[in-house]
Amino acid sequence: MIKIAFAGKGGSGKSSISGTLARVLARRGKPILALDSDPVPGMPYSLGIPVDDSPTPDDVVVEGVEGEPRWVLRPGLDAESFISQYAAVGPDGVRYLQFGNTWGHVSTLQRAQFAWSQVVKEMDPTAWNVVGDLPGGTRQAMFGWAKYANLLAIVVEPTPKSIHVGRRLRNISKAAWGPDNVAVVANKVENPSDIEQIEERLELPVIAAVPADPAVTAADKLGCAPLDQPAGPFVDAIEALATRVVEQYDA
Amino acid sequence: MLSSVPSENTVIVADLEAGIGTLTRLPDQAVDVTLIVTEPTPRSIDVAKRAALVAAERAQGRVLIVANKVADPEDEARIYEAFPEAEIVIVPADPVINDADRRGVSPIDIDSESPAVRVLSGLSQTIGLFSGETLPG
Repeated sequence: MIKIAFAGKGGSGKSSISGTLARVLARRGKPILALDSDPVPGMPYSLGIPVDDSPTPDDVVVEGVEGEPRWVLRPGLDAESFISQYAAVGPDGVRYLQFGNTWGHVSTLQRAQFAWSQVVKEMDPTAWNVVGDLPGGTRQAMFGWAKYANLLAIVVEPTPKSIHVGRRLRNISKAAWGPDNVAVVANKVENPSDIEQIEERLELPVIAAVPADPAVTAADKLGCAPLDQPAGPFVDAIEALATRVVEQYDA
Repeated sequence: MLSSVPSENTVIVADLEAGIGTLTRLPDQAVDVTLIVTEPTPRSIDVAKRAALVAAERAQGRVLIVANKVADPEDEARIYEAFPEAEIVIVPADPVINDADRRGVSPIDIDSESPAVRVLSGLSQTIGLFSGETLPG
């Protein structure tokens, strides 16, 4: 099973890459759970799923007893039944689970977010390939939000700012919770020296070089999935990434 | 941290994390002006609408929408349609910004007269920083 989490600077292309990869893998017959650990939706657009702001019902959780988290899934509702009831079904059969969703009222999300965390922790590791999208920056990585992953993919653009964040993420991933594998996806690459620069600065393997592709900009403006647009170099690169991930990281 | 900085004769420009996480954790009335940067794409506009709502609910001063990478009149129309009642600043798509990003330098040091840099330089006037106007909040 593949368990991959994408991290990187805001705007580096995590959502476009992770959403497209999730669908490409699903088209190859893999059961895919797309995990969005941001209450502001990023992945639905790249997956091609309508944004749904209806909240997870409060009664999915009950108050935890001493020694348990504050809220726990209600008796009879385990991680698998939560996924089958509450994960959205997207194109190519991708299941999509978001860390609550918000118009700013974070306190009302607390129950949904405890539920999400428990589901991610307790889901059957043999049932799902997971493609996760962390919010931009280092905060969630710092607090070990990608513990489910056996591969942390750091999305880096060939700019000093993006590389700087990538290096921080690389250092953070050496913490105790860190995944077995850490690699780089170079995005918006224009020439071979971009890849060399990224490889040299991060001292990590570059498992995909994703070119700048006007088709992605066009899909962004239309609010639709890059995969639902005419294929271009971006999608070709994600197809190649999917092959590499399956060959190298399908544990 | 914001509340511990002397407020007189000091201008604080804070660049918050992507998304709305930090904005939701700021105390009410923590800032005088909130600039919400968006791009003319549905995904970015979605985030900006959520940010604008949080900023208004928490009374984070005057709220402006800064629309970045606006390439054509269609992009501009999309922004005005999405934020019909907001104060909007349009920042044109500008290769100088990309160039500066790739070189790791400030756009203003490459070309202070480029279209995007001119608009951004004018922002201080737009929000009344140096005109003697009293800021709200």
